[in-house]
Amino acid sequence: MIEINATILAQILNFLILVVILRAVAYKPVARLLQQRSDKIRDTLDKAEADRKAAEQTLAQYKNQLSDAHKKAQEIVDKANLTARQEHDSAVAETRREIERMKLTAQAEIENERNRAFDEMKSQIISLSLAAAGKIVSKNIDTKENDKLVNEFIAGLNKNMFADLK
Amino acid sequence: MHEIGVRETVNFLGLTFNIETLKMTWLAMGIVILVACLATRNLKAVPQGWQNFVEMIILWLHDQIDAMMGRRGRMLAPFIVGLFMFLLASNLIGLVPLMASPTNDLNTTLGLALLVVVIVHCLGLYFKGGHYIAHFFQPTPVFVVINMIEEIAKPITLAFRLFGNILAGEILIIVLLKLMPIWMPIPSVAWLAFSIFISCVQAVIFTMLSMAYLANAVKEDHAE
Repeated sequence: MIEINATILAQILNFLILVVILRAVAYKPVARLLQQRSDKIRDTLDKAEADRKAAEQTLAQYKNQLSDAHKKAQEIVDKANLTARQEHDSAVAETRREIERMKLTAQAEIENERNRAFDEMKSQIISLSLAAAGKIVSKNIDTKENDKLVNEFIAGLNKNMFADLK
Repeated sequence: MHEIGVRETVNFLGLTFNIETLKMTWLAMGIVILVACLATRNLKAVPQGWQNFVEMIILWLHDQIDAMMGRRGRMLAPFIVGLFMFLLASNLIGLVPLMASPTNDLNTTLGLALLVVVIVHCLGLYFKGGHYIAHFFQPTPVFVVINMIEEIAKPITLAFRLFGNILAGEILIIVLLKLMPIWMPIPSVAWLAFSIFISCVQAVIFTMLSMAYLANAVKEDHAE
């Protein structure tokens, strides 16, 4: 019942053949499939990780650009404000100067007008006085006395009557 | 009903072969290959049906191998999966009436056990060289005797455990059928059911012990 014969060799050979066949037919395809699948899963995960990193990088870049743009816009607004204020100031100063100048011109004109009016009035007063005086003293007073009287009258006019015009 | 213990033999090239054992072995091999082909015929990246089952077995086996043997063990995976499937088919075939297990012949079990032991020693020498021989003389040279007995006992226990279980199961099936009247099938049915369980357990035990022996030779030693 338990004799050992050449069957033992045949069985070893049989089993080795079976292992070779199984390896080729069943084990290798399944193992390869499992390997491929785990490779694929790993690749997918790696790729997802890489994509996530790239997305984060892009987001950071966008944020930087956005803050840069904000800064630049603020700078432009500040500059514009500054320019506007400078222009406003210079315009105000220019206007002041203009007003000053106009005031001076007006004062000079007023002065001229007054001098002119004064001169005219003086000459008319002289001629009127002469006419009046001539009529009054035409009979007895000579020319010398006449001139002296007129001059005295005019001097008195100058000092008293037109004092407030000066 | 064949007579227990008498084997039909043929002579071929001056060698004697147990022809029934050989026929049953080829049948078991055919069944294993057929099942493997059917299960892996239509592999897809997204598994369906039987493929789930096959993948589950192979992944479980890979886990076991990685845990017991480390990375070098992967190359032995086809051997181990083949061993398990062949033993399972061989053990179960004997429960079919008019058939016998290839494993009820000591030639089969001792052949497999010797094959395992030879592989163990070859791989041990290949991977560890001098260390492998040296470890038989640990912790003192006297222990070489005990270690030798252990190494010789390994294939013998492997072979006789399987052989005894299967042969006893088949003998008891025959005995029960002869002993019991035809209207009383309960004992033989119960024993048949238990034999199915025994067949699976013995296949697992043989495979697991082989893995343990192989692991000894293959795995990296962190201590050295």
